[in-house]
Amino acid sequence: MNENVKINVNGTEIQSAPNKLLIEACEDSGIHIPRFCWHKRLDPVGMCRMCLVEIETPRGKMLVPSCTTNITDDMVVDTESDVVKKAQEGVLEFLLINHPLDCPVCDKAGECPLQDQTMSYGPGESRFVEEKRHFEKPIPISEIILLDRERCILCARCTRFSDEISGDPLIEFIQRGNKTEVNTFPNEPFKSYFSGNTVQICPVGALTSTSYRFKARPWDLKSVRSTCSGCPVGCSIELNSSQNKMLRILGVDNDNVNQGWMCDKGRYNFEYLNSDLRLTSPLKKINGEFQKTTIKDIYSDLDEILKNNNNVKFLLGTNITNEEYVSFNEFAKKLTDEEPSFYINDDLLYEGFFEDDIQLAKINDLNEADTVVVWSEDLKENLPVLYLRVRQAVKNGAKLIVFGHSNSTLLDIADYFYTDDVISKNFEIGDSLPMLEGVEKFINDKNVTAIIGKSTPFQADESIKKLVSYLQKYSNLKILNAFSTGNVYGAFHTLSSIKNLSDFSEEVNSDNTDVLFVVGADPIGKSIYSNQIKKNIKDIDNVVCLDLFIHETSELGNYIIPTSSTLGEKEGTFTNIEFRTSRIDKLVPSPGQALSDWEFISGLSNFMKLDNNIDSLEELNIKAYEGLAQQTKPIFDNLDKPSNLDGILNNFEVNISTSENSGTNCDYFVGKKLYGDNVTIRYSHSISLLGAKQFIEANNSTISKLNLNSTKCLLSQDEVEVPVDFIENEKLSDGIIFIPINRRNLNKFDFSKKISITPNHSKAALNVN
Amino acid sequence: MSWEDSLLKQAREIIDMYPQKRSAVGPLLHLAQSKDGYISDDSISVISKLVGITEVQLKSVSTFYSMYKQEPTGKYLLSVCKSISCEINKSDEIIDVVKDFTGLNNNETDKNGLFTFEAVECIGACGGAPAMQVNYETVEGLSPNNTLKLCEWLKKELPEVVVAEEMQEDFGGYKSFDWAISDQSGTTGSVPGFQTLKTTKERN
Amino acid sequence: MKETLLLTKHMRSNPEDSHLIEVYEKSNGYKTAKKVLLQESPEKVLEEIKDSNIRGRGGAGFPTGIKWGFLAEDEERYLVINADESEPGTFKDRILLERDPHQLIEGIIITCFAANIKNAFIYIRGEYAKPARRVQNAVEQAYQKGYLGKKIFGSDIDLDVVVHLGAGAYICGEETALLNSLEGRRGEPRLKPPYFPAVKGLYMKPTLVNNVETISSVPWIVENTGKEYNKLGVEGSTGTRIFSLSGHINTPGNYEIEMGSSFGEFVETLGNGVRNGKDVKAYIPGGASAPWFRGDQLDIKMTIDDVANNNSMLGSGAVVIMDEETNLVSAAKSIVSFFAHESCGQCTPCREGTTWLEMILERVASGRGRTSDIDLLLDVCDNISPGLSWPPKMTTICPLGPSAVSPITSLMNDFRDEVESLIPTKILL
Ligand SMILES: Cc1cc2nc3c(=O)[nH]c(=O)nc-3n(C[C@H](O)[C@H](O)[C@H](O)COP(=O)(O)O)c2cc1C
Ligand code: SF4
Ligand code: FES
Repeated sequence: MNENVKINVNGTEIQSAPNKLLIEACEDSGIHIPRFCWHKRLDPVGMCRMCLVEIETPRGKMLVPSCTTNITDDMVVDTESDVVKKAQEGVLEFLLINHPLDCPVCDKAGECPLQDQTMSYGPGESRFVEEKRHFEKPIPISEIILLDRERCILCARCTRFSDEISGDPLIEFIQRGNKTEVNTFPNEPFKSYFSGNTVQICPVGALTSTSYRFKARPWDLKSVRSTCSGCPVGCSIELNSSQNKMLRILGVDNDNVNQGWMCDKGRYNFEYLNSDLRLTSPLKKINGEFQKTTIKDIYSDLDEILKNNNNVKFLLGTNITNEEYVSFNEFAKKLTDEEPSFYINDDLLYEGFFEDDIQLAKINDLNEADTVVVWSEDLKENLPVLYLRVRQAVKNGAKLIVFGHSNSTLLDIADYFYTDDVISKNFEIGDSLPMLEGVEKFINDKNVTAIIGKSTPFQADESIKKLVSYLQKYSNLKILNAFSTGNVYGAFHTLSSIKNLSDFSEEVNSDNTDVLFVVGADPIGKSIYSNQIKKNIKDIDNVVCLDLFIHETSELGNYIIPTSSTLGEKEGTFTNIEFRTSRIDKLVPSPGQALSDWEFISGLSNFMKLDNNIDSLEELNIKAYEGLAQQTKPIFDNLDKPSNLDGILNNFEVNISTSENSGTNCDYFVGKKLYGDNVTIRYSHSISLLGAKQFIEANNSTISKLNLNSTKCLLSQDEVEVPVDFIENEKLSDGIIFIPINRRNLNKFDFSKKISITPNHSKAALNVN
Repeated sequence: MSWEDSLLKQAREIIDMYPQKRSAVGPLLHLAQSKDGYISDDSISVISKLVGITEVQLKSVSTFYSMYKQEPTGKYLLSVCKSISCEINKSDEIIDVVKDFTGLNNNETDKNGLFTFEAVECIGACGGAPAMQVNYETVEGLSPNNTLKLCEWLKKELPEVVVAEEMQEDFGGYKSFDWAISDQSGTTGSVPGFQTLKTTKERN
Repeated sequence: MKETLLLTKHMRSNPEDSHLIEVYEKSNGYKTAKKVLLQESPEKVLEEIKDSNIRGRGGAGFPTGIKWGFLAEDEERYLVINADESEPGTFKDRILLERDPHQLIEGIIITCFAANIKNAFIYIRGEYAKPARRVQNAVEQAYQKGYLGKKIFGSDIDLDVVVHLGAGAYICGEETALLNSLEGRRGEPRLKPPYFPAVKGLYMKPTLVNNVETISSVPWIVENTGKEYNKLGVEGSTGTRIFSLSGHINTPGNYEIEMGSSFGEFVETLGNGVRNGKDVKAYIPGGASAPWFRGDQLDIKMTIDDVANNNSMLGSGAVVIMDEETNLVSAAKSIVSFFAHESCGQCTPCREGTTWLEMILERVASGRGRTSDIDLLLDVCDNISPGLSWPPKMTTICPLGPSAVSPITSLMNDFRDEVESLIPTKILL
């Protein structure tokens, strides 16, 4: 470790780690220097000039921007001199020259750095008497983002974020000098998966989101810190509500995980909480019709049913807390003597790489690695913030090698990108591995962090093993297993055994199942095993669904229990992709009689007198972490300590026992896109259209081989017919047709058989609302 | 892509001149302007693909520079200098003549697409102030009278190729320095005549 | 006062066709380059440049030998010739490009040899169409002759030169903005530190950026030795320099002189006096960015240091004479408008400040000013360049913003009554 640097700020000596910017070093010592353009997670540009301070130089005192000046030993700094104050007042006056006085109607008012700093450092009144610069008031630059150029102070935060962090520079400065404005290209909107971050870091109200516009004032907001359960990255977030309504989600800067960022799905997929279609009372199916009933009534029915039937199975979604997994586990254990059967609502679940001889990676290991290897589902679509972290690793100098037909968005920054030259259409890796130039240069004898997962549900489990054993043999390897559904890592260590949807579709039917619990899962709407699962569930006598909504799966239930959402309606813990456990917290009440899954199960256990000690959340929380050393236990007491807000890392035992998938010969590459049209997205109106489009992708030559003469076509197979747009994606290999399965009906095909693709002139591709 | 093959070929040749593709952005934008008289959104799409940046990144670059026009320009781009040496040598009179003759305000193009007028910053002809450029071909030592004649000549003769020497000889006056023998090369349209762009035109 | 012709000698002796390679070669052109490449060492060339004490002719006046010495080691290094000449009043690079492009190319060859560079770019402002054509022709001729390209002059050395056309942005004369522009980006100056071109320049590789005139001087220096060059002019301002003289003057033009005589002498002899026998009210000694001198300051010597000691700069060598009838408020406004128009827009004080200054001056010039406007002008200037001292302090990344302050402080310091006389005093506020 390098020695600390000492500098003198305003007459006081402060110590700081070396290589810090002056603004950071001061900040760390509690000296705040005002700024607009500087942001800890972006490269400094020194544009706003608000952070000017005086430093002593051989040529006398000099004004320098503290955001672009590195500290050096014995630097003498004045952040409060008259010259500094005058310069800051000047900058503020300049900024306000063209800034509209529309604070009363601006979303940012109350938490606006420009407003705040005008109070603290501003000149009081403006001497500018000319006409201000005018632009058309807010213009939509995407479905979810609005831009008000008059308010923009040209700090380049949004443009830098898009360029440096998310790598989709779709928002830029246009014109120059005093005419400069920020904007997008006319026919190329701000269609980024990360655009919400720019709203969060915009220091004024220039970028706003449709979902929050005019909804609240910051001083009315209640807030709580929580964890996003959208995917296993588990971004640290802050939830904001007003009048018991969730209004906004912000990214929290957790250095180990999301570093302040979020994906737009995580950020904007919350309006469903207030949807009129939310289930608010328990339902019981009588003569094929759902009728309202009481929880008590359901308890007594279930008591009866469970007493008489031994074959109980559970299909669990991944949007529940660790405590809830524990509640099901404890409940199931009391029902049968055998190993309880838990199936996880995930097509891609397989055994992964968790054996003892594997070194598991942390997300931050990406930054330490010489080389990052990716062979998994498309990270940008499925683990978006992990995608940002891979980009960051590359920016910091790591080499990147990508295998497989997915992750084509990493093509531009990958040092080596292997697809059809190395990987078969069925995602099998050939024997050429040792001969590959990239492998020789950047893998052998290097520190490698590999993100490993299945690229598609049809990929044989075996297929990645070859790569992993090579990497293990020839490099210093750390593996980050890439599973992509919600709190699936929480399920890994809380449930006594886990199987996947393929197992479920094959194993669970009326022959062997009397009672099926389906918890927050819609496999019929989303899984590629949809048809089989639907057939099976229909025949099962007693299906108990716990859910927020009625959907294709829950509508088959005999009972539906309305539940609370993991997003702001309950407390608990969440385990992320690196086995970091952090807090899920509650901010808003659940609608009607909705209750947490664990509350329902604990109530049922009590009703049935199962005596399994799961009466309280605290008990469940403690049970979840039995066997761990006291200080590393992610129990509430520990997690609430300030030092543990970013979560606690653990080595958990993983209990997956899926049956081996030997791969399916399949002509299509199926996978999930970030936005689908599952219930929560469908009922979050700001983003509901983003996942509605029905389409498939291939490169130009593949498309032209099909002789379609149109990008509108019809996919059909037996009774299933789906009109789609054919979208060109030059990053896909020849012959590969990508089909997104988290779109209505697109998962209903049998992908092992031929799907016919014909021109569809008559019907426009369907945009489901 | 909607650039002709020959233009695309020329674009690729330009790209090959540079160690990194993106460096070709400048000349390619000139090329786009020589095609359409301005930077069309369509050209933005073509060039951004050629050099591998997004459209808005390219738009951002193209709007930074005042020679890349965002609106279609006329056959003759009249750029009258208004910077200091010309200003104190009464460039305002020259500007007035051009404005009156064309009926245009700053940065406007007439509806026949004949003239675009702009008052510009220093064009490096200070020794021959006041001065102007027609399609980036310089005329120095202007008088209001000669400026009018120049405009009239352009309108009447509609020269296909505009050559600095020719205009200087007929309408210019005192020069910043001796120009040496005439090259007789010039340009057509609002892009500098330059070999790499194939916009240099010989007067016949 | 007489001219001393080093750089302009060839063009003066061949008024018709100095830009053609045959003619250049007849005046011993390319001989120096050939000799140096085949017989001398890079170190020797660098020594000569250092001995000459030549300072950059682009405006900043940085010693060229020292700059070359800073160039960081790397396999990939670049030379970029700054031919973006756009400072109002300046047209000296134009003559070198238009009339003697081979001298520049020869300078490039020698420079690249000295600095072990294989790729050079000549960045010419887009409005300089004719100069650019001449340079491009010259480059093509040099390729044909084997003076550029592979194994030039039969040596082991390769050198490629690309002529790149700018597109109308004064700021691209600032060397880091120029590099951004050459990379196909917005011409915004980079932060220094960390982006010193000699370390992180074009494509983040070590890069020499030099002005046309600086590099055009290289062949003479190397041929005649740095010591000989150093004998010309005065200490601190050695050699000759091309001054662009314009404004209210009888014979405006480019004049190559040794530095050291007074501006007055320059105006009277080479400039043949002020037009119509008028007096000089004020003059600009070094381009639009430089603070003005009064007509009674014509005895100041034309050296980098003398001008600096009188709180201005020799800058790009553009001398603009303004006679007694000049409306100085309009003149100042013209200069301020220039900088407002050319601001890249990155720094708040420059972007907003220069435009505001322009608006206030516009108001004052058109007789709508207020008495408070004088203080306001100065205070806005102060917020761009704190203390209004010289050399200017900066709140900005590059000196463009503070440059807009020069004409206003000049106006207020020396010609305040002229401003006040334009303000209708009856307006009570
Ligand atoms: C705003 C600004 C504009 C400039 N314009 C030019 C220019 O047009 N030509 C030039 O050679 N140098 C110009 N310079 C100076 C360059 O930054 C740089 O110092 C010069 O190219 C170095 O070459 P030299 O050392 O040979 O003078 C400018 C500097 C600034 C700050
Ligand atoms: S990356 Fe994952 S955890 Fe982060 S915001 Fe998006 S969905 Fe939530
Ligand atoms: S925060 Fe330093 S210049 Fe903007």
